[in-house]
Amino acid sequence: MTEIIVIGAGPAGVAAAVTAAEAGARVTLIDENSLPGGQYFKQAALPAPASLPPTLAENFRQGQALLAGLSHKNITFRGNTLVWNVTPDRTVSLYGPAGPETLAAAQLIIAAGAYERVMPFPGWTLPGVMTVGGAQLLLKGQRLLAGQRILLAGTGPLLQVAGVQLLEAGAEIVAIAELQPLGSIIARSPRFLGHRDKVKLALNNARRLKRAGVPVKFGYAIVRATGENEVSGAVIARVDAAGHPRPGPESALAVDTVCLNFGFAPDTRLTQLAGCKHHFAERFGGWAAITDDNMETSQPGIFAVGEVRGIGGVEAALPEGRLAGQVAARKSGYRTDESAGPTRRAARRARALVGQLNTVFAVKPGLMTLAQDDTLICRCEEISAGQLRAAIREGITTLNNLKPWTRAGMGRCQGRICGPILAHLLAAETGLEAQSAGQFTVRPPVKPVPLSTLLPQNNNDEVAHDK
Amino acid sequence: MTATRLGHPRPEPSFTIMVNGRPVEAWPGESIAAVLLAAGRRVFRQTAGHAPRGFFCGMGICFDCLITLNGVPNVRSCVTPAAPDCVVEAPE
Repeated sequence: MTEIIVIGAGPAGVAAAVTAAEAGARVTLIDENSLPGGQYFKQAALPAPASLPPTLAENFRQGQALLAGLSHKNITFRGNTLVWNVTPDRTVSLYGPAGPETLAAAQLIIAAGAYERVMPFPGWTLPGVMTVGGAQLLLKGQRLLAGQRILLAGTGPLLQVAGVQLLEAGAEIVAIAELQPLGSIIARSPRFLGHRDKVKLALNNARRLKRAGVPVKFGYAIVRATGENEVSGAVIARVDAAGHPRPGPESALAVDTVCLNFGFAPDTRLTQLAGCKHHFAERFGGWAAITDDNMETSQPGIFAVGEVRGIGGVEAALPEGRLAGQVAARKSGYRTDESAGPTRRAARRARALVGQLNTVFAVKPGLMTLAQDDTLICRCEEISAGQLRAAIREGITTLNNLKPWTRAGMGRCQGRICGPILAHLLAAETGLEAQSAGQFTVRPPVKPVPLSTLLPQNNNDEVAHDK
Repeated sequence: MTATRLGHPRPEPSFTIMVNGRPVEAWPGESIAAVLLAAGRRVFRQTAGHAPRGFFCGMGICFDCLITLNGVPNVRSCVTPAAPDCVVEAPE
């Protein structure tokens, strides 16, 4: 029995592991990536170049400061290790460099993070169209600049953050298409109260982009990407308050790269498998694990922290991770002098603030009209918006019924990319609330693993191919 | 479109991987996706519907960047490190 297992070595998981270890508990920290840091503090396996662009250097420095805590003797880090199942009794199934393995945890902290929300439009499957996070991971983890003439499109402060990072790395930012009109952001500015550092950073980014001559187009969306074998152009257009493109002139841009981000969705696969209760929290990116004030889920001894509780960014992830680490260590019998009260208050405050901010940058239903009937929604199984709309007209109202009916969400990504889009499509076509679409039922393994992993007593290393 | 390596040329010694029978330069610590992008290759595979696909999420969740590596199909190039013995097949 392992005292404490932490799944996910991003900011929340690392904060939890370090806090629990410092209290005296023995912690096993598991991550699918080879290095800890998660996506936000993505570490490169490459040596750092003599000079990194300034904002990347700052991110690298902050990440190194957090990750330094992992050198604690009570922490065992296991990289390159996929957790493909978790049960309510805290049994964790792994697949790592040494093959399959099962661990039992007295306390289990799930910090599985989030994935990016992307909205479809004609041409969004072309090579060269990628997520904003994908382009950032190339910069942070690979020291690689994805393109030379880049359009960033979607909604939220990340677009401008990434715009500055790509600019510093040497790209030309052809435009940033932000869905929200500037007027509505300003009208909601009271929701920025308490975000002094974020506002300062945002204004600084806006100045940097302006100085570089980058057009930041508020109230715009990308409506099309064009190109033969890779993207060579993009069209942006003004949208109305509901996200419908307005009649009127479109702007065609010559670009070689398009980066998309419409916020994030919590990765609740593991908390779902563990039988934890979830709720639909619109301001936190949709379905998220429910916890009490101590980050404990409805399953005793299973904690959820960071993005799994709803999108809260690094600001919420760090105090929530620390709190779960503190409480889990205490439940394991390690008495610390430090009271959990201040950490609990910090976590609650961070979460409330981020929740307010999230509501300023919501996805709009009218965007679903950008997907033409021949635009793919499920990229894996190549299911088009037209096929899905036809199925919805037959009376389908939930994700779990749409999947066997159309195969959307049945491919290798298991609905990670199309799931949030399908929920928007169902809402747009039926007029029902997004939450009535429900969640996909999750079954192990959460990602493909060698078939031998699932068989008892089998050393065969053959890889399972699903098609 | 060819992706640009920051801090290039990198001081450490490079090695080569084979892509469709031709050598492509790579550096220790790079993913196969990064090596392909830096070599100007953006199409990593063709779908069953004959559409080109490449790098998309960068974090191993979208399964768009699949390649055939050392004869094993459906390997996620964005989370697979390049190594000197790598033999990659991708559409021309």
